[in-house]
Amino acid sequence: MRRLCIRTLSTRLSLLFAGLFAAVMLSVSVLLFAMVERIARVEVEQQLVTSGAVYDRLWQQRSDQMQDAAQLLARDFGFRAAVATGDQATAASALDNLKRRLNADLAAVVGVDGSVHGNLSPAKRQDLAGLWDSLDAGRMSGVARIDGHAKQIVAAPILTPVLTGWVLFASDLDAGEMRSLEKLSAIPLHAGVIVKQDGQWSRVAGSFMLSDGAASRQIDASLTGHHGFDLDLAGERSIAVAKQLPTIGDGAPAALLLFYPRAEAMAAYRPLQWAVALLGLMGIAVVILASWRAARRISEPLSRLDVAAGRLAHGDYTKVAVAGEDELARLATSFNHMAHEIEERERRITHLAFNDVLTGLSNRTMFHEHLNYQLRAKPAGRDVLALFCLDLDRFKAINDTLGHSLGDALLIEIGSRLKDVAEGCFVARLGGDEFVVVQPLSGDRGEIDRLAEAILEAIRQPLHVDGNDIIPSTSVGIAIAPDDGNDLDTLLRNADLALYRAKGEGRGIYSFFEESLNEKAQTRRVIESDLRAAIERGEFELHFQPLFDLKLNRIGSFEALLRWNHPTRGLVAPHEFIPIAEDTGMIVAIGAWAMREACRQASEWPDYIRVAVNVSPVQFHRPGLNQVILSALALSGLAPNRLEIEITESIFLDGSEETLKALHVLRSLGIRIALDDFGTGYSSLSYLQKFPFDKLKIDQSFIQALLVRPGATAVIRAITDLATALGMETTAEGVEETLQLRELEMHGCSSIQGFLFSKPVHASEISALLGNGTQLDSRIQATAVASEKQPLPRRAHK
Amino acid sequence: MRQLAAAYLLLISASPALGGTLVVRVVDPAGRPVDDAVVTIEPVGRPAKPALRAGPYRVEQRDMVFHPFVSVVPVGAMVAFPNFDATRHHVYSFSPAKRFELKLFARDQSRSVRFDKAGIIAIGCNIHDRMSAFLFVTNNGWAQRAERGTTMFRDAPSGPSKITVWHPFLRTPSSTVSRTLPLGEGSRAETFVVRLRAPPLHGMDGY
Repeated sequence: MRRLCIRTLSTRLSLLFAGLFAAVMLSVSVLLFAMVERIARVEVEQQLVTSGAVYDRLWQQRSDQMQDAAQLLARDFGFRAAVATGDQATAASALDNLKRRLNADLAAVVGVDGSVHGNLSPAKRQDLAGLWDSLDAGRMSGVARIDGHAKQIVAAPILTPVLTGWVLFASDLDAGEMRSLEKLSAIPLHAGVIVKQDGQWSRVAGSFMLSDGAASRQIDASLTGHHGFDLDLAGERSIAVAKQLPTIGDGAPAALLLFYPRAEAMAAYRPLQWAVALLGLMGIAVVILASWRAARRISEPLSRLDVAAGRLAHGDYTKVAVAGEDELARLATSFNHMAHEIEERERRITHLAFNDVLTGLSNRTMFHEHLNYQLRAKPAGRDVLALFCLDLDRFKAINDTLGHSLGDALLIEIGSRLKDVAEGCFVARLGGDEFVVVQPLSGDRGEIDRLAEAILEAIRQPLHVDGNDIIPSTSVGIAIAPDDGNDLDTLLRNADLALYRAKGEGRGIYSFFEESLNEKAQTRRVIESDLRAAIERGEFELHFQPLFDLKLNRIGSFEALLRWNHPTRGLVAPHEFIPIAEDTGMIVAIGAWAMREACRQASEWPDYIRVAVNVSPVQFHRPGLNQVILSALALSGLAPNRLEIEITESIFLDGSEETLKALHVLRSLGIRIALDDFGTGYSSLSYLQKFPFDKLKIDQSFIQALLVRPGATAVIRAITDLATALGMETTAEGVEETLQLRELEMHGCSSIQGFLFSKPVHASEISALLGNGTQLDSRIQATAVASEKQPLPRRAHK
Repeated sequence: MRQLAAAYLLLISASPALGGTLVVRVVDPAGRPVDDAVVTIEPVGRPAKPALRAGPYRVEQRDMVFHPFVSVVPVGAMVAFPNFDATRHHVYSFSPAKRFELKLFARDQSRSVRFDKAGIIAIGCNIHDRMSAFLFVTNNGWAQRAERGTTMFRDAPSGPSKITVWHPFLRTPSSTVSRTLPLGEGSRAETFVVRLRAPPLHGMDGY
């Protein structure tokens, strides 16, 4: 079975059933054949035994008949007288007479004295004389060999009244005799007489040849056991029975051999055997057919299922025809159900894999697929497509302040609007508030502008969600393939750069990618890598700008300002590298350094002068800020109340309890907390309620507006009043003119900072600054004198 | 008959020419005494004692049997065959020494036959095959029937003698066995072991 690989169930079942049936049939046949053989054999043996008995009786009858005749003669007074008186002629004639009547072959008188009388050849005479002992012993019949021929001999004693001799008749046991015996039998058996000489049986009458010693041994066994045996006669197998015959004379055993060729014995059963064999074959054929059909009924639905399962594996969701209500039908139904479920699930998975769950738009993966496909498929050399990158303006603020569910609703609405407005284009949401639109181009660049404007217009429509009126806006960056990039990454990056520019240029607009954007990005990357080295190489230094305390009329503190002396670029403006440092997280290390350096410097100043250090929101959102501050204080020996940390309200945007907790911890140590750039951004008053700042630093835009915009004074007034009410100090930033100073003084501002008093100075200049003129007025005058009528130089940063 | 024999023996023993006593026993191989054997002594080179004719000699037919079965008679003796049966008998002999037929005897009828030649006469009845008798006709005076297997010769001759035992069924071609012995004075015993064949009609009841 292993070598002959049977692949189908039906074949296997058919073979199994057929094999089993064949085995049973074979066993039955073998049994039947054996039984038939045995029955035939028993029957033949029976026949042979019966024939043997018949022959016995015949033999006896014949013997008796001959003996009767012999006795009659032996008792005939005249014959006895003739024998007794030696009247040979009379005796011989009487013998002949009876011989003819008996149809015997030989008649003689054997005298008690051993003489033999009769018309006999010398050889016969001699053989007959040899019978004397047997006759004398009283054996009156038997087989003897006379002159080489087997003869049945009978004798009768001649009593005169003493035993004078024996009358003796013999008849031949020749082939003819055997044939007549064979005719008497019910079955066409063969008969023969055998005698044993020198241990070997040999034929003396009958038409057969005894071949070998084996036959002789079998005959011996049969004679003693009285059973039939198989006899090989010249290659023909026969069933034989041997019967001992009485012998007379030399005593050589004689036997009647009756046999029947097996082939003839079995011939009667041949039709039966053929019928059995034929029935067996027919049975096997029927079983094969039936089991094949039965197996097919099982295996056909199975193979259909097999095929369907194979197709299913390749994603072909074919159904299997269901017939009937059996287990296979139920299996097929289940299979169909399963296939349907798998199809459904796969469809869902595929959808999830390629679609954004929230908006139902394509997702980033799908976008990649689509764009790659479009870029590959379209011929080069002409404009192929425009990639629009969209980013909702201030989405983060909306999400944070109005909640995620509203943010989600907004995203869904934006997605829907984009789909509507960008008909025929591919729209996807890449994540967060990032959307992309892929516009196929047909040559007219104007259509890009039209679509961009349409998008901006569509997004701009007010939206009413959960009782909130939102006016969304988006910035759009556009890159065109193949000009702005021939592969997905480049194209996407360039569209992003364009998007940044759009955002940078005021939001709510669209911007095309230009190569210069790429250069800016390049510059940014260079700065990024230089920044890393800058910390190690000590390229940073701190400059300090004094904050003049108007109440005490002296410098109250210095704000530490970071400067980067780039080895090739020279002094790099903070606004050029601080955002990058914040984006990359390097601000954490830079900030830590600034903190340590500021504290170290401040520790050399007079005790009443504090140092203010800016802390980025990024620093707040990373762990370890408190440790940095505490270690800076510890290393410098600066009293905590001489350290002022300046934060912007943006740290509250991601606004968690964690930030507040950190601030409280710092404040509990005695460190002062100032809110920088107050008045810009959202300026939520709730912060002021949440946290007791030590100081509000009023953004310079308000200060600049003081002399320009009416009502600005009122704002300053409101802020200082508010701060005073909450017990906070106020610092006005960017004070450049004396008029501004006067206004601020008038409205109760605590301190000022700006070029009017001093620009940021190097640490080494601080002692000089403190020594020469701590008085504001003299400082202002000195400055005024120094600058004559020229306006004060605008501060670079703060 | 016994008285006659006794007288005869007495006569022999009185003879001055006689020697010692010879007792002959005839037994079968099993040692059983054999009846009806006839023992004869023939002195070697010398004449035997002449047999004396006494008589009367009879072989009766009584109850379908000849009595006695074996008789020793001298040559020339007349033997009577009286019939005491109700049936008739056809007494015959084909023996060369004397052939005769005595047909159809009536009851109590007796006929006599003279046996004038020595020899063994086998006597049968043609009507009744089972009937059989033997006459040992002899000139020898030393011939005696051994009754119950034994016979004694009181006047056995001296000198070498041939002792012969005959029995009708003795299993030799001549139905005799003999032995030559140097007989002397005094008594002597000889035993003959003989084998008998079955009587001819033994086991032939079908006849």
